[in-house]
Amino acid sequence: MRTLWRSTAILAVFSIGLIALRPRQVAIAAPQAPVPAKPASTPSADSSLAIPSTTAAINASAPMSQRVVHYEIDAKYDASEHMVDATEILTYHNLTGQAVDHFPFHLYQNAFQPNSTWVREAKIQGSRDIGYEKWDPKEFGSEEIKSIEVVGQGDATANLQYITPDDSNKDDKTVVDLQLSKPIPIGAFVQFKIAFQTKFPETQARSGWKRDFLLGGQWFPKVGVWWNGAWNCHQYHATTEFFADFGVYDVKLTVPQYEVIGASGIQVSSVNNADATKTVTYHGDDIHDFAWTVSPRYKVKESTYQAQMGPVQLRFLMQPAHWNQVERHEQITRETLDHFEKWYGPYPYKTLTVVDPEPDSAAGGMEYPTFITGDSSWLLPNGLHFIELVVEHEFGHQYWYGMVATNEFEDAWLDEGINSYTEVKVMDDILGKDISILNIAGIHFGEREEQRFSYIRVADRDPMAQKAYDYYNFNSYGGTTYGKTASVLLTLEGIVGQETMAKAMHTYFVKYRFTHPTKEDFLKTIEEVSGKDLRWYFNQAIYGSQVVDYEVLNANSFPVNWYEDKDKEDRNKKDKDDAVYQSYVSVHRKGDFIMPMDVEITFDNGEKVREHWDGQSRWTRFSYQKKAKVVSAEIDPDHTIHIDRDNFNNSLIAEPKSKPTNKLSTYWLFITQWLGQTMAWWAV
Amino acid sequence: MANLLSSGFTKVAQNKRYLFWFWVLNLTLAEFGTAAFRRGTHAILDRSLYADGLVKSFDLGVLIELLSKPEFGTLKSMTYPSLYFGFVFFLATALFLPGIFTGYASTYRLPREEFFRACGRNLWRFIRIMIIAGVIMGVLAALLFAANDAIAKKAEESTNEKLPFELQMIGLAVIFLIMATLRIWFDLAEVDTVLNDQRAVRKSIAAALRHTFRNLVRLLASYVVVTVIAGIVLLAGLWIWMKFIAPENVLGAFVVAQITLFLLLIPRFWQRGIAVLYWQDRMLVPFGQSAIMEPSPVPVSAPVDQPAAEAPPLATTPPIEP
Repeated sequence: MRTLWRSTAILAVFSIGLIALRPRQVAIAAPQAPVPAKPASTPSADSSLAIPSTTAAINASAPMSQRVVHYEIDAKYDASEHMVDATEILTYHNLTGQAVDHFPFHLYQNAFQPNSTWVREAKIQGSRDIGYEKWDPKEFGSEEIKSIEVVGQGDATANLQYITPDDSNKDDKTVVDLQLSKPIPIGAFVQFKIAFQTKFPETQARSGWKRDFLLGGQWFPKVGVWWNGAWNCHQYHATTEFFADFGVYDVKLTVPQYEVIGASGIQVSSVNNADATKTVTYHGDDIHDFAWTVSPRYKVKESTYQAQMGPVQLRFLMQPAHWNQVERHEQITRETLDHFEKWYGPYPYKTLTVVDPEPDSAAGGMEYPTFITGDSSWLLPNGLHFIELVVEHEFGHQYWYGMVATNEFEDAWLDEGINSYTEVKVMDDILGKDISILNIAGIHFGEREEQRFSYIRVADRDPMAQKAYDYYNFNSYGGTTYGKTASVLLTLEGIVGQETMAKAMHTYFVKYRFTHPTKEDFLKTIEEVSGKDLRWYFNQAIYGSQVVDYEVLNANSFPVNWYEDKDKEDRNKKDKDDAVYQSYVSVHRKGDFIMPMDVEITFDNGEKVREHWDGQSRWTRFSYQKKAKVVSAEIDPDHTIHIDRDNFNNSLIAEPKSKPTNKLSTYWLFITQWLGQTMAWWAV
Repeated sequence: MANLLSSGFTKVAQNKRYLFWFWVLNLTLAEFGTAAFRRGTHAILDRSLYADGLVKSFDLGVLIELLSKPEFGTLKSMTYPSLYFGFVFFLATALFLPGIFTGYASTYRLPREEFFRACGRNLWRFIRIMIIAGVIMGVLAALLFAANDAIAKKAEESTNEKLPFELQMIGLAVIFLIMATLRIWFDLAEVDTVLNDQRAVRKSIAAALRHTFRNLVRLLASYVVVTVIAGIVLLAGLWIWMKFIAPENVLGAFVVAQITLFLLLIPRFWQRGIAVLYWQDRMLVPFGQSAIMEPSPVPVSAPVDQPAAEAPPLATTPPIEP
């Protein structure tokens, strides 16, 4: 479903009003960890039901989240068919504050069929993966509930009905709704017994198989989230990710014995079966999803990281051809953990599995609780930091998604964008500011530049604050949610100060971990910590699509006595040295984003003058009378504004200098000459 | 092979002026080819402090932003002139090559008139050879690359991640050897056409084909060695550029680049020297069987025992080398 820009703008304005009016969500009120898993006086439809208060998978003595779900899955994987047959027992705790008579479930794997909303949107808007263009039916994905029983209410399979809450695509089967015969009372538990079959597609959207590898993500029927007084269970869109409640996962995976397996949570047991399979059991606490992977060829490295709350078992599942890169994976994982623990808060889980997925698969660069996939190649020089970039980013999601579990359907910038911002901070600190992506042979490229470029390509398309599936296209979604958010928050640092911003990020994490905060929770935290009213900035940068573009229009000087005899002036050097110049510097606001800024004017006697401009008018002019001529003028001399669309026009040199052009031209000349020689070599 | 290589190189060394003029031609055409690029960059970079990121180091971000600016124009508008002038250099090479072959075969310093006479006399013959060579090499290259890609694609089904790359590299090596063989064939055909004054280029092509396969190992080994040397020269030049030239030293970068490009001209001329040498050694038809046009000697200086004032008119005006 695509919304036109104008509709989007109207929607954004309305959403500002709605946000201001709506009641605070239930999750916000959740106390900080640890919290009791179950209220003592909870009424229950079946008094024997409960969500376990286990802590085996976390370094804490009590649950850290308000646990809503308990999934017990027993799955058997057919490696030849890339298929799972499973039973799922879902225990749900009704903390909605009202009786609930229907439950929507995500069936994400149904997105990978030709008529799904995911594929339709991908064809219109573009997508990260375009493998669906070449699909044949055996490569489709599917997820089918064979039967569902509501404990105490009997078989309810006939009550299942596919719904499309986001569009009118009747062929989309990514959400199914279950109508109960009796509503579940407030505070009660309900248990669903589900038999389902999932067929994975050839890797698509970081899930599925490639050769003999499998990444099992979004593979089981997952209940929606009761949020803001209603079920929040969106269809799977080409640009969206996920949203789920915290709880406990107990998952048994039966796979061929030759498979090397990794999964979310801790491994509880592994038992070899008589039929050449093995059943590996995992347990996860205070997580909201469960992913797993198998490949017969993984090489495994395990080590321990001493985190603030206790030891974390690091497990690296590497492709054999990438084994020489395992140290790079481990080093960046450890350094990232160091930074996140120091800057934002402790990592509470006992495990972290880092998967180096199958080459050429669409499985690289994905986050699941305590489980991430990197993206590598056997031919990656040390100066090219793609491994570090991906592992850092996906680990960051353990905080911004894993623990601070925002709604990825509706506020993608809260996880991807904030994570991209912290990625810039962490990568800059670990690898260096302008070299965090590339540093080879004097050529360098930094993470903050990369984020800015992804934004400025789509600068005037979409605001950050809109549903992930309402962006103009995939590039706009990516450029805005990742690049714009990172650049907007880096610019915010310049407004509130780096230390204040760091404190605000720490506060936000500690306050909202294991909850589902909204964008206003984040923005208000920054305002509270900084003590500043930042609405002027948020309204333009987050709720609006205004574009920053300031330019130095001109910078010139002329002698105040210009009308006098020039020859006479030239004759006497002393007179010339004493000449007084009138200098003008004009600055122009080209864009529609208004923000104050500094302008630095440099004179040829070395003097620098800083001016402050509120940026309200379209242009302003600074004038000086000095015994010096202006050499250059520069907007934002401290380079704190990262959302300016054009960095070249932020400064102006009075006397042009051609060295940069000459250097580039030398390179281009070399390439052109070499090209001519090569052509002549083979053709004649 | 060693003799072929050393003698071939001697021919290049004895005719260094050709290298110089080709370098001048290469540089001049490239200057034209990069004019649009220079104009575009001057307009944006010269008055911005942001451009300093390209001088003090090489900030890829600055370059990306430059390329993305509408005022700079499209990348196509910058690269196409370079391609066109690269093509002009190739045409110029084709035009002047007969003169070079004649010069290499000559036992004396070839005067300008003869150089250009050979060029003009063989122009259409060369065009015909180039068309035939282009069709054969083009079709074969297309088939070979398609096969190589198909093999690599098939290999992608393997769980050995390096296999597609390894097969592709092997395939490229095979393609290189095949294309080098074809290059030898048509080099010999070109030499035969020029030095044998062969109007019917098909005869030269047929003769060259026989000789290519008769002495394939020796000729191919010579060509491969020279190509490897060219690769080493290129890599060494780039290494020196990166290692010893400071980022802000534009003049130094230009000098190293041009020396590298000048040196890169040598290997191909060396191969042509080998072709001429081989022709003289093995393909030269015995006297009387063919109408070889031996260029008539032109005095390049006045006889020692003759007063300069009595020298013939040609001698008083030393030929200008191409």
